[in-house]
Amino acid sequence: MYILATNWSSAFDVVIFGFVMVFVILILLVLIISGFGKMLAPTVRVPKTPKKANEQNNNFPEENNEIEYIEGHLSADYSAAIAMALHLYYSDVHDEESHIITIKTVERRYSPWSSKIYGLNNLVK
Amino acid sequence: MRTKKYIFLLIAVLTVGISFNTSAQKQVQLAAQADTTVVANATTEIAIAKENLKTEKDGTISESFINFLRSTGFALLSWKDLIMLFIACILLYLAIVKGFEPLLLLPIAFGMFLSNLPGAGLFTPELFAGGHVDWGKFANGAGLLDYLYLGVKLGIYPCLIFVGVGAMTDFGPMLANPKSLLLGAAAQLGIFATYLGAIGLGFLPNEAASIGIIGGADGPTAIFLTSKLAPDLLGPIAVAAYSYMALVPVIQPPIMRLLTTKKERGIKMKQLRMVSTKEKIIFPVLVTGFISLLLPPAAPLIGSLMLGNLMRECGVVERLSKTVQNELMNITTIFLGITVGATATASAFLNVKTLEILAIGIVAFSVGTAGGVLLAKFMNLFTKIKINPLIGSAGVSAVPMAARVSQVVGQETDNSNFLLMHAMGPNVAGVIGSAVAAGIMLTMLS
Repeated sequence: MYILATNWSSAFDVVIFGFVMVFVILILLVLIISGFGKMLAPTVRVPKTPKKANEQNNNFPEENNEIEYIEGHLSADYSAAIAMALHLYYSDVHDEESHIITIKTVERRYSPWSSKIYGLNNLVK
Repeated sequence: MRTKKYIFLLIAVLTVGISFNTSAQKQVQLAAQADTTVVANATTEIAIAKENLKTEKDGTISESFINFLRSTGFALLSWKDLIMLFIACILLYLAIVKGFEPLLLLPIAFGMFLSNLPGAGLFTPELFAGGHVDWGKFANGAGLLDYLYLGVKLGIYPCLIFVGVGAMTDFGPMLANPKSLLLGAAAQLGIFATYLGAIGLGFLPNEAASIGIIGGADGPTAIFLTSKLAPDLLGPIAVAAYSYMALVPVIQPPIMRLLTTKKERGIKMKQLRMVSTKEKIIFPVLVTGFISLLLPPAAPLIGSLMLGNLMRECGVVERLSKTVQNELMNITTIFLGITVGATATASAFLNVKTLEILAIGIVAFSVGTAGGVLLAKFMNLFTKIKINPLIGSAGVSAVPMAARVSQVVGQETDNSNFLLMHAMGPNVAGVIGSAVAAGIMLTMLS
């Protein structure tokens, strides 16, 4: 009986208007955030060398002074790959070595601690 | 073994309580009988005089003893109080032994325990009857919890909690993928569907809205809205909201599995873009301005949330950020928990309404979860880059528990699939969504 007496039309009004309003407000937020995101997202300047310049570059590296940059977002997986490459490179970089390995014979030094004769000749007085 | 100890302790406390109650009542009856028999058995005047003198002396001692017994809480204990104390002990058990949201459930349970101790006068619901504070009676002496409850009644604690939540939340995943806001909106379906269900069960519109907000899975928002619209239902709604939030890992996975195929659960999402600090700083200011101007009743919640977040992201108020994340949050949680628990008095809690609220609450959670998952599936029909529908369920707030559930269910299908950061987007969007829904309910129903 109560269900019949309930003002269902006003209840549905609240539900439909409320739910639509939640969506509208959040869709507006999506648009605002997306717009700001495009403006403020961190961009990385990636040098873009044209093909011809690239070919020239192989022959005369000094002559290729002009580098064209493209503005773009560098995704996290690219960043991770670059970071890994740098890490491997720098972990491998160390002081120059001669690469000559020498094994020298070590002269056996006399030590009273290991000498049997010394121990026998120097008895406790 | 430990569980047995707790049960034994609980039974012992209740037995002692009941025995004291019955013995006190017997004492009162015996003393009254003694008074009447002494007068009736007197035959001579001298004897009567002597007896009267004796009974006067005895009377003063027994009367003071009776008065003392009558003033103790044991004499005033009713079966309803005992049931409430028992429920409080069960909640304490769940918090301490089972670890269900202990930071909140423990103060709530103890607040419930305190307010149901008869005679202590720690909490007086009459001071807040009819949704208004009776300031005149406060002057005559209110209980400790009455004063603390003003923070709930005036909507202070939920906002302070939101400052702390904002300071602990990273909105980066949401900013990196703004579409996740839509999933946060879809998960609010639970709020509005439950509103209809509660109306059908005979609740008034303002009560139905307060019950529906349980589906937002956001404790402070639920408390804020209920304290404004239906303060009488604050106890059951808070207990239902926090209990179900603790049960998110139990409630959500079956619904998520039911609504998705194995292929959909295995969708691997694209790595999120990096979000600049500038974006993170502008976001809270922008959102506060936009939502507060559009929906003024939501301003306290959104403003507090974003204030905390700005403190976190700006990097110049490190001390304040740490304070709101720890000290302020913890102190407010204690006050909020105790006072919300205190509202669960026998008269307010032990009725059919509470059972109905608990039943509708779980429906609200389930519908909210389903709403998020279904919208994610719907979005996949139109977008090139597919979304894993499991992240939709995280739109019900319950930060970060719901996001963790998405991660766990996703890894059941493919253990190389990491959904946590993707799910954090809808998860924090759900906080904004439920605050917006609360603002809309306040606008339409207050």
